[in-house]
Amino acid sequence: MTSLDEAPDALLAQRSTDGDAAAFAVLVRRHAPYLLAVATRLTGSRADADDAVQDALIAAWAQLDTLQDPAKVRSWLTAIVSRKSTDRIRSRRPSSELDDERAEPGERGPEQRAIATSQLDALAGILSSLPEGQRQCWVLKEVSGYSYDEIATELGTTVPIVRGKLARARATVFSEMEAWR
Amino acid sequence: MTDPSANGIGGTGYTLEQLGEYLDAGRQPAVPAIDDSAECQAVLASLERVGSLSRELVTRDAAEIPALDESWFGSLLGAITREVKAGRDIPLASSDPRTHLSITEGAIREVVRAAGDSVEGVLVGRCGLHETDGAVRVELSISVLLGTPVRQAAEAVRQAVYSELLKHTELAIDAVDVTVLDVHIVAWEGEQP
Repeated sequence: MTSLDEAPDALLAQRSTDGDAAAFAVLVRRHAPYLLAVATRLTGSRADADDAVQDALIAAWAQLDTLQDPAKVRSWLTAIVSRKSTDRIRSRRPSSELDDERAEPGERGPEQRAIATSQLDALAGILSSLPEGQRQCWVLKEVSGYSYDEIATELGTTVPIVRGKLARARATVFSEMEAWR
Repeated sequence: MTDPSANGIGGTGYTLEQLGEYLDAGRQPAVPAIDDSAECQAVLASLERVGSLSRELVTRDAAEIPALDESWFGSLLGAITREVKAGRDIPLASSDPRTHLSITEGAIREVVRAAGDSVEGVLVGRCGLHETDGAVRVELSISVLLGTPVRQAAEAVRQAVYSELLKHTELAIDAVDVTVLDVHIVAWEGEQP
């Protein structure tokens, strides 16, 4: 008998859709770190990310029949995690002035651009220093793959505002990454 | 936010913001002035690069997250197990007309999966149940470990499912249809974002 732990995502997703909790548990264990990473970048808080991912996975289990392509279950889960993360962001407003304080993900300590040793470190530092709204738009666009419309819906704002925030985020990221090179 | 040059990037009149939106629109509809400008192409490539770096960054973040302890999963998996997907009730034949016995689709699927998985090198994927006049047709797809003889595996699954269902459910079984969906190797391959 082959272990479920080694099964491909698509098969586990199919079994989960049929109500196999053990198969869903394997998916949860396999993808939890990635989902937490996305949620942490979005919310800027590991504690919020934990809550958002747990909420999202319980919601996902209840709506597996809406999963179109079982092979893309991680992308599907990422979308639900993004939604639960933005729910948390909305519910904790207003808190804008303090947001930069908790923009640092996890326990890793400050990511200083000045001592960045790789492009990824440089980007991590730039993203962390972006205003919260810009960072969220950026992550939803570039990591979750959302359209402007979808971002506006998720963040409870308008497409022109999303477009403006993305443009400012992009200008900052672009120029600082160019300077770093 | 806009290009410092009044004439735009590469003298095209297009700003960084506009190039970003062009990229987001999948470079459609095509703008020849942008597509023919080496400077614009370089900027577009850089913008794509920071986009893919962002995805790499999240992948790296994920790898650096310390192992999650069981308490992290505990309440989550508990909530999932509690919300059992029982599905419809399917009636069982009964010799006593005063009693009505039934079994849930969820319970039947559990039996089918366990029977199929018990065959060496086989994992069950989908499991469909179709009831007509009290008789049930079972359709299941299986994935077979590379190197396992496919035809024998499918037949072994069919027999195992049939006999386990008879043993545990007293269902009237019309047919057990097994489809071999694919062949898997041992290690799972992660989905590319």
